[in-house]
Amino acid sequence: MALLGVIWMIIFNYLPMYGLIIAFKRYSIIKPISKAPWVGFQYFKEFLTDPEFYNVIKNTVGISALKLLIGFPLPILFALMLNELTSVKFKRAVQTISYLPHFLSWVVLGGILTTWLSDVGIINEILMKLNIIKEPVNYLADPKYFWGIVVLSDIWKELGWSAIIYLAAIAGVDPEMYEAATIDGASRIHRMIYITLPAIKPTITILFILAVSGILNSNFDQILVLRNSLNASASDVIDIYVYRMGIQLSRYSYATAVGLVKSIIAFLLLLSANYVSKKLNDTSLF
Amino acid sequence: MGVDLTSQYVTKKTGVNINFIVPAGNENEKLNTMIASGKLPDFITLGWWEDGVKKMIEGGLVLPLDELAEKYDPYFFKVADPIKLDWYRQPDGHVYGYPNASSSPKDFDRYKELKPSNQTFVVRKDIYEALGKPDMRTPEGFLNALKMAKEKFPTVNGQPLIPLGLHEFTETGNYSLEDYLQNFLAIPREKDGKLYDRLTDPEYIKWLKTFRKANEMGLHAKDIFVDKRAQMEEKIAQGRYFAMIFQRSDFAAQNQALFAKDPNSVYIAVDGPSNSNLDAPKLAGDGLSGWTITLISKDCKDKARAIRFLSYLISEEGQKDLYLGEKGITYDTIDGKDQFKPEVLDLLNKDRAAFDKKYGASYTFWMLMDTNMMLQWAPPTAEPMKQLEDWTKGKTVSYAVFDGINPTGDSDEGIAANKIAMEWGKTLPKLLLAKSDEEFDKLFNEFLEKRKQYGYDKVLKYQEQKYQENKKKIEK
Repeated sequence: MALLGVIWMIIFNYLPMYGLIIAFKRYSIIKPISKAPWVGFQYFKEFLTDPEFYNVIKNTVGISALKLLIGFPLPILFALMLNELTSVKFKRAVQTISYLPHFLSWVVLGGILTTWLSDVGIINEILMKLNIIKEPVNYLADPKYFWGIVVLSDIWKELGWSAIIYLAAIAGVDPEMYEAATIDGASRIHRMIYITLPAIKPTITILFILAVSGILNSNFDQILVLRNSLNASASDVIDIYVYRMGIQLSRYSYATAVGLVKSIIAFLLLLSANYVSKKLNDTSLF
Repeated sequence: MGVDLTSQYVTKKTGVNINFIVPAGNENEKLNTMIASGKLPDFITLGWWEDGVKKMIEGGLVLPLDELAEKYDPYFFKVADPIKLDWYRQPDGHVYGYPNASSSPKDFDRYKELKPSNQTFVVRKDIYEALGKPDMRTPEGFLNALKMAKEKFPTVNGQPLIPLGLHEFTETGNYSLEDYLQNFLAIPREKDGKLYDRLTDPEYIKWLKTFRKANEMGLHAKDIFVDKRAQMEEKIAQGRYFAMIFQRSDFAAQNQALFAKDPNSVYIAVDGPSNSNLDAPKLAGDGLSGWTITLISKDCKDKARAIRFLSYLISEEGQKDLYLGEKGITYDTIDGKDQFKPEVLDLLNKDRAAFDKKYGASYTFWMLMDTNMMLQWAPPTAEPMKQLEDWTKGKTVSYAVFDGINPTGDSDEGIAANKIAMEWGKTLPKLLLAKSDEEFDKLFNEFLEKRKQYGYDKVLKYQEQKYQENKKKIEK
């Protein structure tokens, strides 16, 4: 049976990689890939010398770093807190409510957020009623709010869902350890810090390595639905750039080249995060 | 085709039943996938300016209509307009597509009073009259009118008034603030037989700075930079805008709704932004290129039938069938003129969507509509749209010779043009939001610098060459 899986992998994951060579060719969709002329590193040079390059990288790394910094520890904290709830009913309710937004698509959520954040939206109404601001602010029309909106809405949407994997890890901790600790007089906080956290540390490490390698990935759907011409200077990330300059202009070779650059950097990041983690605490992906 | 009466009639008559493939997302991407997979539907209809047209012709994916007609259906040459065929003739001597909504220069002169430009500057009638019908042709008058409107009518039904509405901002700029505005300012597109760079015209820059000033005075609602067409339509239907630089046909349904509620709250066309001489605007009418063109793909199994069906659609018979539908059912000869029955016309004016579903006439299927031939059957335009139409009469000119001069696709010029367009799309909102005229100048010069870097010279050369070719075609 494993053979079937390997064949599937080869057909659907490895064979399509052949298409990557169009990054080095001037490919046009009316002719097959093999007939396209070679252009070497022309598209890579074009990307690295594009006046937008710096801004695009800044936005991508900035948004991802914020998501990592705030969005990574929060689900762990949330899972720890959920674990301490004693009422099963209440715990289930909190869990369900917190991961429901995960199932809404960004297209739907984007429309909702656009309305909420507009001049006459609910956010402005509340802040004005509380006298925090005097004039309504159109949050999506100002680049300086964009990173915050993207990071916060992403955390709100994914918090509950991301916590599930930690809850599963916590469920696997041997209850006898907690009992022993209680007898030795450990408080709740002590048990959390000295038993639960060390027990789920491998899970945290692995997820952290994966998160670091994904730092050049931004949430494409989310940014596409929230961006507009006014916040473009803060919302142009690599994926959007590939979509605009590659796919929309039918420049598939260019899109592939930029995508390839991104994948290579992501792979290097993965390797280094993996290496550091192996040295520091003996946990690694491979 | 569908369940409506007109398509049933056409199917009964011709035996052709069309299965429409309408792209759900980005139409360009859908077509690209179809081209790459080498499987195209029998007929393809798309905008003449689309890169896909060039790709399909160069890739040999579509059939020459002239060859098909010679082989299977000489009648095609009787119904097709030779000027349009010449216009779309490729360097290889063949014609691959036929346009809709196209007007040859001869027809243009004949019909321009009947079918004037779509480009209008409109204001809300009641507010405009309450302000004493201010003159909005000069920058000072324009800003003053917006200011008065905002001061006297801060809200509309409890929601803030939006002093000025524009078409939506896109990746490549804003239709209202480019050719549209330049037409209002009557800026020429060519000087001494050569293309003129309208973007750097002092009159145009003066008005862009006026729009910047409007923002400084707090007269631009942020909405206009963010809203898409759907949000705008909703706000038009609520009468939230005071003035708009907006195509009249794009808000016909909303204006009708306003008219039904209160005939005084509709949008009417008035004289808008003008150049310092206060010359009349030179608005764009139907071009020779038309709107979309329809091609027949090489994958088409029954070529004879395809070209015959195409001939039928562009013939007077086909046009009448698609416009009026079936005699006795959707239309009749009333007072000696073939026209819609009263109940049909009533639904057309009230609820276009329901009309399309039930009757499917009045060019619900517009792929090859001949908007000149249609005039003999069309009902007279009714208020509130009549006022808008009348205003553009006498101000409409043909820009046909400038059609199709922009490079597209992944040629060097095409890439340069696209990059410039996207850079402009980012610059334009910044220009309007600039804090001072000095900052405006700085941003504008930066754009010109970048335009040069991206290869504007190449683009210009291409445009000039195409323009000269077009001139020859039209003068022939």
